[in-house]
Amino acid sequence: MTSTPVIDVDHLNLSYGDFHAVKDLSFQVASGELYALLGTNGAGKTSTLETIEGHRTATSGTVRVFGQSPRDRRAVRPRMGIMLQESGFSPDLTVRESVRLIGKLSGRRDRAERVLSIVDLTHKATTKVSQLSGGEKRRLDFATAVYGNPELIFLDEPTTGLDIQSRDALWDAVDKLREDGSTIVLTTHYLEEAQQRADRIGLMHQGTFHQEGTVAELTRTLPAVIRFSLPAPAPALPLQATREAGGTFLIETHSLQKDLHTLLGWADANAMELRQLEAGPTRLDDVFRSIGSA
Amino acid sequence: MLSIALSELIQIFRNRLVLVTSLFMPVAVSAFFVYRHEIFTELASLGYIAAVVMFTVCAFGLYTTTVTTLASRRQNLFLKRLRSTPADDAGILSGLMLPVTVIALAQVTAILIVLATVAGQPDNVLLLVVAVLSTVIMMLGLGLATAGLTNSPEHAQVTTLPVSIGTIAISSWVGISGTEKLTLLKRLLPGGSATELVLNAWNGGVPVAESLLLLLPTLCWVVVAIALASRLFRWEPRR
Repeated sequence: MTSTPVIDVDHLNLSYGDFHAVKDLSFQVASGELYALLGTNGAGKTSTLETIEGHRTATSGTVRVFGQSPRDRRAVRPRMGIMLQESGFSPDLTVRESVRLIGKLSGRRDRAERVLSIVDLTHKATTKVSQLSGGEKRRLDFATAVYGNPELIFLDEPTTGLDIQSRDALWDAVDKLREDGSTIVLTTHYLEEAQQRADRIGLMHQGTFHQEGTVAELTRTLPAVIRFSLPAPAPALPLQATREAGGTFLIETHSLQKDLHTLLGWADANAMELRQLEAGPTRLDDVFRSIGSA
Repeated sequence: MLSIALSELIQIFRNRLVLVTSLFMPVAVSAFFVYRHEIFTELASLGYIAAVVMFTVCAFGLYTTTVTTLASRRQNLFLKRLRSTPADDAGILSGLMLPVTVIALAQVTAILIVLATVAGQPDNVLLLVVAVLSTVIMMLGLGLATAGLTNSPEHAQVTTLPVSIGTIAISSWVGISGTEKLTLLKRLLPGGSATELVLNAWNGGVPVAESLLLLLPTLCWVVVAIALASRLFRWEPRR
């Protein structure tokens, strides 16, 4: 990383009493990057995120955002938008009043109507927050986070509770922000979202990084998978396979293309139909499962 | 701070429970004292009515509403949301407490003007203003400290009782019995010296310099309350 990082975490430790939530964590996020912080439950993601946001004080180590302490709200917060994990809006205020309040406090210039239209909440502008559904509250949260197109945006589980259209709209908005140069820090339980969108991923387990890198780097060490079933009887397979429950065969390989070619050649030569054939690279889900079994 | 205060004002007027407890109830109780001022003047003095009215508004309108508001805003993570912005902590708290403080001051002022009109003028208006302001500051400080011990708006119905009932009781005790006996105790109790200050301001007969010394115990309570608040106050619910 050559340019000055937007976020610089150096040997971060965070404890709650005797519980060591974050252990010696170091990473950087570059300008314009989408960095996903993922992990198992209780891995320390939210603690890390909240320390970077300036909500918590590090027990030891340093966190710099735009080269400054994130605790210096006046210096740092006008440049960042935060979508919290839980909404935190006053139930007695309307949607528009909530956006205007947080927008005005953000110090950035924008129009409430613009950000509400991004998340398709224009028709709910005069509705009280207490009358919104869970998904609508998440969209409102996103609207306040992107008010004024901040340089750095924290998205803490942004699509939880959203229907597929709202999810797509949200990611379209994120893509647009990235085109405009915003840096995004994301946490999510939807691994496919991180796999599709993150430039780099920090995979946390028990307070520290289990792995960090691009999706390709994270999945490189685990085998790809070929899965299929065969009509009985069948001649001996050309590759080492295991038989799963339900009679399907599973081949784990580090040479997906070559082994798939071998298998298809074998099926052709033996006039065998490979039913329910699936072949694909390692997914983040598999990396996650490998943490549990490590 | 003003944006937060404006949003808080909107919320007060949209929440019927807060509206009743912070606006109507203190005014109704105070109206009763003013309406029956002859009886209470015979029992104690006009200064007593002024003091008990002031504490009724400050205890129910200001103190209880402050605690309930802060507990509620913490519980629904609104405080955390506000802290996600560049606003500093002092600005956030000031914005949250400003509307209810202004409402309480307006209520006390209006009620005391009515009392003065129907029953008789205070001896020293400036001293009365000082007494009201010091009491308001003390109750705000106690509100902040109590909010630190209060987990939810429902919990506030219990945690606010000792101070709200206590200060009104102390005000009545000092207002009716005076401070000739148990002087030190009465002055050191929260609201005791403030009540005596109001009595002196309204009834007269005590040198101003001597009355001003009564500010000290009230200011000490402010210091104690702020010290407690800085230790007890939480911005987020307990996990």
